[in-house]
Amino acid sequence: MAFKRTQAMWEWTKDRFALQRIWQHVLDRRVAKGAWYFGDGATLFLLFCVLLATGAALTLGYTASPDKAYQSVRDISWKASFGWFVRGLHYWSAGLMVVMLCFHLFRQIMVGGYKSPREATWLIGVLLFFGVITMSLLGYVLRWDERGLYGLRVALNIFYRVPWIGESLVYFVQGGREITAVTLSRVYSAHVIFGPLMLIGLVGYHMYLVIVHSITSPTERKQPVRSGTEQRRVYQRDAQSEERGEVFFPETVAKSGLMAAVVLATALALTALYGTARLYPEANLHETSHPAEEWWWSWFSSLAAYLPPWLATPVYVGFPLLLFVCLILLPFVERTPYRGIRNRPFATLGVAACVIALLGLSSLRIASPWTAWPQPTPPPAPDGMQLPPIAEQGRLQFAAFGCNSCHAIDGHGPRVGPDLAKLRRTWSQAELRKFILQPPPDVAMPPYRERMTEQQLDEVVSFVLVVQTARQR
Amino acid sequence: MERRKALSLLVHGGSATAALVVGIPTLMYAVTPTSRQPSGPLWRDLGPLDSFPIGAYRAAKIQHSLASQAAQAVLSGVYVWRINEQTLVVFSRSCTDLGCPVTFDRRSECFLCPCHGGIFDKHGQRMAGPPDRPLYRYDVRVVDGILQVDLASVPPMV
Repeated sequence: MAFKRTQAMWEWTKDRFALQRIWQHVLDRRVAKGAWYFGDGATLFLLFCVLLATGAALTLGYTASPDKAYQSVRDISWKASFGWFVRGLHYWSAGLMVVMLCFHLFRQIMVGGYKSPREATWLIGVLLFFGVITMSLLGYVLRWDERGLYGLRVALNIFYRVPWIGESLVYFVQGGREITAVTLSRVYSAHVIFGPLMLIGLVGYHMYLVIVHSITSPTERKQPVRSGTEQRRVYQRDAQSEERGEVFFPETVAKSGLMAAVVLATALALTALYGTARLYPEANLHETSHPAEEWWWSWFSSLAAYLPPWLATPVYVGFPLLLFVCLILLPFVERTPYRGIRNRPFATLGVAACVIALLGLSSLRIASPWTAWPQPTPPPAPDGMQLPPIAEQGRLQFAAFGCNSCHAIDGHGPRVGPDLAKLRRTWSQAELRKFILQPPPDVAMPPYRERMTEQQLDEVVSFVLVVQTARQR
Repeated sequence: MERRKALSLLVHGGSATAALVVGIPTLMYAVTPTSRQPSGPLWRDLGPLDSFPIGAYRAAKIQHSLASQAAQAVLSGVYVWRINEQTLVVFSRSCTDLGCPVTFDRRSECFLCPCHGGIFDKHGQRMAGPPDRPLYRYDVRVVDGILQVDLASVPPMV
């Protein structure tokens, strides 16, 4: 009797909440089988949900006002119970989302996931890509520490370079002449209201289109498919077939959920291991600071560092625009019938080149060999080298005149100028003197003509004369 | 069919009107800061002229005006180089590449940027890295012994 009533209630619920239709049209339908890496979409969806939940929770403790924001983030991180967990998980999920987003984008390019009839799915995806990338910068501005504020200022400087409307764009983002409380309000509103609202809408539509047009089926991945009509025929055959098709729930959900679970576990592990994201000194524009971007932007800094001045504006402004236009146009330009990784060697090569470039540039950022910076102590004498007194004096002058802000001695120090223990040829005393007093015009070194006494010059030159032989013994 | 067409037109027109009536003012509101750009100079104090010795580079902070204090403005740092009694140069600390904070290295007499390798000489001229222009210089004046800079003489994000 009780069982019957429960069943009746369940039937009622299914009918009144129209669950039967979701069951029929979404869950209990036959779909084509995907490969293991097709779980990246589900992973992004899960990370998105995690970010919505943790982000919504973070707003409960955050104060979007320059005099309180930093302290409120500190309180969230170290006073509220589980605050470190919520903020940490938000941070790590965001970073992993950027990584998975690139994975998803690259994977679709390799498979040809934008081909008919999935052009609209791709277009919404491109908007999502730029939306998430923007959110990944706005988010850390809200911490209102030096890293966040300088991150914002980098973005503002890029906007300023946009022809015609650059200055207006800066005013629009800043909300005025200076960075003020209004700026933080605007960033907060963009990250917490506009961004999530737009993303929720776009994610919903993206997933709706994935249900309608589905994923690239096994046969599509093997043989050329010329049109949307042909794709639908091929797809239906795959979905209905025993070995190339399956039921969406629970089979597909379980498979793609596995990748999502692994990535979420990674985010949880990183949160447990490193805790919440590091906070730098409170946002200010006047203290000596050595800010850096968040790790998922590292490649950009390396790219910027190697730009000749005349290329800076074209790359900062043109690169994002060009990327957007190329991605939007891709499904309309690349119309070959080949889908699936194996049939698309050029796509794979292109993606491989991008991945290598991204990883290579990112790893370059760790050493940042282009950064000159004042060093607190003089460089040590090269291993096993006894410096004569005058050269020892020169070693101290080497620091006193800031030579070691750019030059390393036998690997110790910045790498902006040449390492003076590893010069390609041996310099004479006269050459060194002349060079230090007045470097050639194309060399990025200040002249010491009016700054060094004859004795100081002698000391520095003796030091360099001695250490340049360090590698020649 | 005629009736249906007319109704459909009415629905489309009505929706579009509603969207515009709500949307346009909302959009105008959002872009207010771009149309209300202040014109003319915005003088801000840097400090007493006497606190900047001749020949030296001094780091200084632009002082709050009452308005900027109320707006909780984040104040920019500058470097003041007093060349002689009368001549002062005030450099922005914002690198002209992407706005990272340059530091004046007293020992090498260069401005060094911590981000992408921008290096400027003591006159603010580019020596290395991606910057495509010299360091920004503020217009300066001295009023009652107080050194002042004009915010409007540099780009808004500096």
